[in-house]
Amino acid sequence: MAGLSGILEWAFLVPLLMVISFVVVGLAGTRLKRLEYGGWIAVLFAGAALVVGVLVAAAEMLSPGQYVNVQYTWFQLPPAAGTFPNGFRLVAGTLVDPISALMLLVVTVVGFLVMLYSIEYMHHDRGLARYYAELSLFLAAMTGLVIANNLFEFFLFWELVGVCSYFLIGFYYEKPSAASAAKEAFLVTRVGDVMFLLGIFLYFYTYALAGPGNGWAASGFVFTNGNQPFLAGAMGGNSTLLTVAGIMILGGAAGKSAQFPLHVWLPDAMEGPTTVSALIHAATMVAAGVYLLAVTSLFLGFTATDQLLIVAIGGFTTFFAATMAVVHSDIKRVIAYSTISQLGYMVLAVGAGFAMVGLFHLFTHAFFKALLFLAAGSVIHAIGTQDLFKMGGLRKPMRITAAAFAIGGLALAGIPPFAGFWSKDDILGGVYSQLGTHPLYWPFFLLAFAAVFLTAYYIFRAWFLAFSGDGPRDPTLPHAHEGSWVMQVPLIGLSALAVGSGLLIFWPNFQSLLLNGAGAAGIPPVFGPTDLALSGISVTLGVAGILLAWRLWGNGRVYVLPESSWAQPVRRLLLNRYYFKVGYDWIGQRGVYSVARAADFVDQFVIDGTVHGFERMFAALSERLRRIQSGVVSDYAAYVVAGLIAVFVLLLLVAPYLVTLVGGA
Amino acid sequence: MTDLPLVGFIGLSAALLAIGLFGILTRRNFILLLIAIEIAMNATILNFVYFAAYTGGTAGLTGQSIAVVLVGFAATEVAVGLAIVLALNRLKGTINVAQATELKL
Repeated sequence: MAGLSGILEWAFLVPLLMVISFVVVGLAGTRLKRLEYGGWIAVLFAGAALVVGVLVAAAEMLSPGQYVNVQYTWFQLPPAAGTFPNGFRLVAGTLVDPISALMLLVVTVVGFLVMLYSIEYMHHDRGLARYYAELSLFLAAMTGLVIANNLFEFFLFWELVGVCSYFLIGFYYEKPSAASAAKEAFLVTRVGDVMFLLGIFLYFYTYALAGPGNGWAASGFVFTNGNQPFLAGAMGGNSTLLTVAGIMILGGAAGKSAQFPLHVWLPDAMEGPTTVSALIHAATMVAAGVYLLAVTSLFLGFTATDQLLIVAIGGFTTFFAATMAVVHSDIKRVIAYSTISQLGYMVLAVGAGFAMVGLFHLFTHAFFKALLFLAAGSVIHAIGTQDLFKMGGLRKPMRITAAAFAIGGLALAGIPPFAGFWSKDDILGGVYSQLGTHPLYWPFFLLAFAAVFLTAYYIFRAWFLAFSGDGPRDPTLPHAHEGSWVMQVPLIGLSALAVGSGLLIFWPNFQSLLLNGAGAAGIPPVFGPTDLALSGISVTLGVAGILLAWRLWGNGRVYVLPESSWAQPVRRLLLNRYYFKVGYDWIGQRGVYSVARAADFVDQFVIDGTVHGFERMFAALSERLRRIQSGVVSDYAAYVVAGLIAVFVLLLLVAPYLVTLVGGA
Repeated sequence: MTDLPLVGFIGLSAALLAIGLFGILTRRNFILLLIAIEIAMNATILNFVYFAAYTGGTAGLTGQSIAVVLVGFAATEVAVGLAIVLALNRLKGTINVAQATELKL
C-alpha cells in the first residue's frame, strides 16, 4: 500500500482541522443555536480528524516502521567554538512514526467519541460555544504534541494542552470549587513544566556542547530513529548531566500524568464536565506525560539511575493511588484514582525499558477509561448525583450503561479477554523479566502486582454500588433513563474497543507497529501472555478482588466498617488522601504565602516606600516654596532686591576669591 | 571741575536709593509706593548729573542729556502709576497694594 503512505506527510492536517474548528466555533459558535452552538461543527471537524488519524495509523500499520519527517528550519546558529561547536538549530515539523501513529489513533478516536457524546450530555449547559471551541483546541494541542518532531515543539504543544485543561476543568468557573480545581491543576502541572523545560535545556546544552558526529544539535534535535544508542554511547552512557536531565523530564511527566507526588490535581479535576474528565484521563492531558517518557526513552534514552527512579515512581503510584480509590464515594473520583494508578503502570513499563508496552497500555487504557467515564457520565446525566451511596439498582433502567461500565471495569481489572488484561499483563511480565537489573525493582514490582487486586476491588465496588440492588438508596433521585443514540453510540463503540483493542496485539500488523516503535531502542517486548504462571496469579488476584467487592457490596449490600475496627484510622487516612492536599495547602499557606507576604512587604514599604518618600519630600518642599508666590508687589520687589544683593555679593566677594583659586590675575 | 567731592555725592545718591528701596519694600499705600519709586529713580538721575559734571566736556553733555530724558521717563511713569492707582481703587475700593494679590496663581 505505497499509495496510502503518502498520508503520513499530511498528518499535520489533524491539528490543523481542530484549530480551524476552534476558530470557527469560537468566533461563530454563539450564533449557531441550531447546531448546538457549534457543537455539530466541532463533531464534523473531529470526524474529519478521525478519518485522517485512522488513515495515518493504517498506513503505518500496513507498511510498518516508517519514519516520515517533514520539517522546516525555525532558526539556525552557525558553529562557534566554545558555545556551539556543532552549530545550533531549531526546527518545526511533524514526525510520523509508529508511536505517534498509535497516539494519533487514540486521540482522534476518543476525541471524536467524546465530542459526539457531549452533544447530548452538555445540552443543558450554558457557554457551549466556549466548551466546543476549547475542546477543539485541546484536541489540536494534543495531536500537535503527538506529531511534534523535536522536544521544543513538543513543549509548546505541551503548554497548550496544559492551558486547555485549565480552561476545561474550570468550565463551571462560577463554582468556586471548579475555579480552584482549575488553578490547582494548572499550578501543580506547572511545577512539572518548569522541570521539563529545564530538562530540555539540559539536553540541548549537553548535546550542543558535545554532540557526537555531525551533531544532533545541528540537525535541530529531531527525534531520529535509532538515535538513542548512538547518543548514549557517545555521551558515555551515564553522565551526570544526562541523569539530571532525565530526572527533569520525569518531573515534567509526573506533573502531567499525575504521578506521585504531583498527583493531587487529578482527582480535583473532576470539577470539570464528565466529558472533559473522560478526555483528560483517556487521551489528552495525562497521556501526554507518559508519551513524553516513552519518546524520551526511545529517542534520547534514560540512564540506569533515571530508569530506577521511574520504576520507583511508577510502581509506587500504582499502589498508592489504588488504595485511595478503595474508600471514596464519588463515582468520578474513584475512576480518577484508578487513572493515576493505571498511569503508574505505564510509567513503570517505560522505566523498566518497555516504552512500547507502556504505550500499548496507554492505548487500551484510553478506550476503557473513556468508556468508564462516559458510562459514569451517563449515570450522572440520568440521576444528577455522583454519590455512589445514593445510587443503586441502576442496572434495570440503564442496561447499556451498566453493561458498558461492567466491560470497562473488567478491562480495568485485567480479566481476559478484555483489553486491560493484555497490556497490564505485558507490563507485569516485562518488569518481572527485568527484576535482575537492580534489587530495588522488587518492591515496586510487588506493589504494582498488589494493585491488581485493589483495582478489581474498587472498580467493582463502584459497579455494585451503582448498578446492583433493587433501587436507588436515595428515593428522592429522579427516575433513571438511558440517553439517546448520541450518548449510546460512543458507549457502544468504546465498549467494542475495550474488548477488542487488547486483542489487536494478535494482529501481526499492529504488533509490528509496536515492535518497530521499540526497534529504535530498549528491550524488544514480547506481547501476549508472556509468563503463564504470572498471568494466572494476576488474573486470580483480579477475580478475588471482584469477588470481595461482590461479597461486601453485591446485591445492594452496603458494608459498614465497624467503628472499633483497626482499619478505621487507615480509612480516615485514605479518605483524607494521605493528607497530601492538606500538606500542600499547608506549604502553600505557611511557606509560599509567607514568602509572598514578605515580598509584598518589601514591595509596599521598601520599594514603594522609597518612591512615595521622594514624592512626599518634593510635595512638602513645593508646599513651602509656593508660599513665596504671595501676589503682593512689594514682596516681589523684595526678591528682586535680594537677588540684586546676591549678585553683588557674588561679583565682589566670591568671584575674586574663585579667580585667586584658579591662579588668575 | 575735578575738585568736586565725588564720594560725598555718590554717598548722597546711595542714601537716596536706600531710602527709596526702603519705601518700596515697606509701604503698602500705592501712592507712597510711587513716591518711594520716584526717590529711588532720582538717585539714579542724580548720579548721571554728578558724573557728567565730573567728566566735563562733550562726554559730560551725554550724561546731562540722559538725565533730562530720565526726568521725562519719571514723569511718564508717575502718569502710568497714578492711572493704575485709579484703576485699582475702582476695582478694589482701596489702594493698599497688599490686597492686590491677583498676580498669585
